[in-house]
Amino acid sequence: MTTSRKHDAGGLPGDFAIWIFIFAELLVFGVFFLAYAFSRANNVELFNESQVHLNRIAGAANTVVLLTSSYFVVRAVAAIRADNARRCGHWLLSAIGMGSVFLVIKMFEFGEKFSAGISLSTNTFFMFYLSLTFFHFMHVILGIVILAAVLLKARSGGYSAANHTGVETGASYWHMVDLVWLILFPLVYVIH
Amino acid sequence: MTKTPLIRPCTLVWLILLALTGLTWFIGESGITGMAIVGFVLATTLFKSQMVVDYFMGLKHVRAAWRGLLFGYLLLVCGMIGVAYYISLT
Repeated sequence: MTTSRKHDAGGLPGDFAIWIFIFAELLVFGVFFLAYAFSRANNVELFNESQVHLNRIAGAANTVVLLTSSYFVVRAVAAIRADNARRCGHWLLSAIGMGSVFLVIKMFEFGEKFSAGISLSTNTFFMFYLSLTFFHFMHVILGIVILAAVLLKARSGGYSAANHTGVETGASYWHMVDLVWLILFPLVYVIH
Repeated sequence: MTKTPLIRPCTLVWLILLALTGLTWFIGESGITGMAIVGFVLATTLFKSQMVVDYFMGLKHVRAAWRGLLFGYLLLVCGMIGVAYYISLT
């Protein structure tokens, strides 16, 4: 379980700068979500008819994959707090692996839609679906890059129980990516 | 002597999150809908998100204002999604 360390104001884990970034990202996603929800309120039939074409199993699978990768990151932070950089590296690598699985499933989904002739201009629902999930997809890629950088430093002995702000910083960003998907999945794939 | 817990708290949280995800998926698959169901799905989403904030991000024991800020964000977003759904029914 992630317990906070007192690095800065209020003991937020990791570098405070990442939290500014996280709050900004959440704000942008929040606006996106509400834009979707209120657009749907004006086009209920169109949204419901279009949502039927989504692969809900893939969406749920990706939720499981992201939650699992977040869990692995929690274990990585716990490992470095126990001064076990080697184990921390293993958990980070597992989290990156799960992040990659998310990308593969999502690309499969995008492929399905594009081969069915669906694009941004198909209708308002698919404009939202494609732009929201692609925007999130890009965040997963950035999260994987961040975790990979943390992994490299952990493997080279750059972190310890006394100094692991970088691990917590990367972990906080990755959890934000997970958090956003937890809202996106029911909003776009389930609620109708 | 300290007793080792049967299951790590973070593992328990992860399993709860997976179970609730399965429930959300099942609701979507079953086709049942309506304000009560959507309210339940949104409440589940709020609960799951707050668990990630508290136990994965590790904000359960930080200054209350930070945790409150994130809870306020989640409540606002889930609440407004519920309002939008209600508008769509009327």
